[in-house]
Amino acid sequence: MYDIGMTVFNGLAWAMATFLVAAGLTLIFGILHILNFAHGGFFMIGAYVSYSIMMAFGGSLPLWLYLVGAMASGIVVGLLGWAVDKLVFRRLRDVEDAYSLIATYALLLVCGGAVQLIWGLNYMGVMPPPALNTVVFVGDMFMPTFTIFIILSGIVAYIGLEFFISKTSTGRLIRVVAADPWMAQLLGLNVKKIYLITVIFSFAMAGTAGGLLMPNQSLSPELGGIFLLQAFGVVILGGMGSIRGAFYAALLLGLIESFGTYFFPQYPGIFFLLALAVILLLKPEGIMGKGQTA
Amino acid sequence: MIDYRARFRSNLLIASCGLAVFAVVPLVANSGLMFLAGLVAINVVFGLSWNLLFSGAGLLSFGHAMFFGGGAYAMAVVSLRLPELPFLVGLALGAGCGALIALIFGFIALRRASGVYFAVLTLAFSELVHILITKTTFLGRNDGLVGVPRPEIDLGLFRLDLTSATAYYYFIIVAMAAAAFALWCFQNSPAGRLIKAIKQDSVRTAFLGTSVFAWQLTAFVLSGAIAAFCGAVMVPFTQIASPEIAYWTVSTQPILFTLLGGAGNFWGPAVGAILFGAIDYGTRAMHGLSEITVGTLLLVVVLVIPGGLLGFVRHRRKKTRGKAKASTAGDTGARS
Repeated sequence: MYDIGMTVFNGLAWAMATFLVAAGLTLIFGILHILNFAHGGFFMIGAYVSYSIMMAFGGSLPLWLYLVGAMASGIVVGLLGWAVDKLVFRRLRDVEDAYSLIATYALLLVCGGAVQLIWGLNYMGVMPPPALNTVVFVGDMFMPTFTIFIILSGIVAYIGLEFFISKTSTGRLIRVVAADPWMAQLLGLNVKKIYLITVIFSFAMAGTAGGLLMPNQSLSPELGGIFLLQAFGVVILGGMGSIRGAFYAALLLGLIESFGTYFFPQYPGIFFLLALAVILLLKPEGIMGKGQTA
Repeated sequence: MIDYRARFRSNLLIASCGLAVFAVVPLVANSGLMFLAGLVAINVVFGLSWNLLFSGAGLLSFGHAMFFGGGAYAMAVVSLRLPELPFLVGLALGAGCGALIALIFGFIALRRASGVYFAVLTLAFSELVHILITKTTFLGRNDGLVGVPRPEIDLGLFRLDLTSATAYYYFIIVAMAAAAFALWCFQNSPAGRLIKAIKQDSVRTAFLGTSVFAWQLTAFVLSGAIAAFCGAVMVPFTQIASPEIAYWTVSTQPILFTLLGGAGNFWGPAVGAILFGAIDYGTRAMHGLSEITVGTLLLVVVLVIPGGLLGFVRHRRKKTRGKAKASTAGDTGARS
């Protein structure tokens, strides 16, 4: 019982951390049909910006400052998103899929290089804020408060996104453009502007995710790649940019990964890849099927 | 009609010029630069093998590191654990290992996935291979296999001593030239053109009675075998097989070479690999600068000149030639 509980808990932690990164990725994939390699890079920049903010305030932070720091990195990275849309994404509309994938990979390279230039190659790390650096006992299971916080953040992010996409007018406009950009243009919508909003929003999410997940991570220029692969898996498995699909895919892959690692502890990190390959073979269109955009 | 004989001759000329440059490197440069040149030569063919899939078959692979790493590890295992096997057998086993990996994963990936999905599936498979290597004690886990010896080849009549770095460097050049030649021949063979036809219109070629799946798999296996061959040749040169050579960033290397140099030209990846080596060497003093330079260049290439460096040159030449033709046409028109 103890083991099953802890394994589920670990799976949830994996799932929600990955979903926080994948949410922005899936949004761009659903609306612009670009699988954005650079997302991992901007996630990483968010983590580093947040780290710098923390260091400027002396390292150990109260909870509210940690949250403000994450927001601030969201804003910084969102602004970068504005520049990236103007300079790069706007020009990728008429480019083949393969080439736009490679272009976003080039952006990832630039991000990695910039992080190395600004923050250096050394590994850096921060502790979670003291308020989250405790442990909760449920029965005989001990759960780090910070992990619980990440799981809750993931769920809040999911509910918030679903609400934003399905209930607000901006969210509805985004769905319209995702479904048929040509028709949306005919109806007089400013498609370019909606693309821009989507990109900024997605980048801001990457930055915030970086700020939130930064404690307990070792910050290094490779950080972008680590989360990126997991997030890619979640986005692809979730179907074409479906946020609900990504959420369920994250849960599924997280549980598979943590149960796999529980039974075969010598092979961590392998089971979600295996599961991804097998599920894609059986259902190439992802678990939510087609037509579930945004 | 394409004159294949003329095309062969011009490509032979290009290849010989490139070979001559690589051959004089040990005579004029220090051992550090020669080491770099050897790696660049391997990268040239690694890029060519990737472009066989990309431009030849229209498949975007983000997993070539699994072949490269697979070949490298096969070679390292053979020379460290089975030293009684001849070196050339080790090379063949390395290439075969890549072909086998390509056959297994290609069979799965090509069946269902295409486009971006294919790219991500190959990425996932490649990461799978990388993790398996880091967790296998037989393959040295995270430390890799160290101290791979450079071989002596017994050719019956005489022995070829490749234990010095310079001798092995020349072996690399010869081996890579042979691999590039094989790739060129394949791409200009009926099979190579058939695969290109599948890339251009897979539905129509299927309608004409071709098995699209079988031919794509053939291209995938061949590309994997050549990439693995590159890895196998590299290991005795660097004398180490470490898990980093199977990491996904290695998969992106041939993509960089090809796109920088120009995907539409057979020699594009070669130009890109040499350019990449030069950038890496020129910016080695400052961490991160190389990534920023290469990344920015790649962005410019994709956004502004999708044909890469060689495509750009060809485009410019056509333009000036076109202008010259137009002006002579104008002249004759005025005269009559």
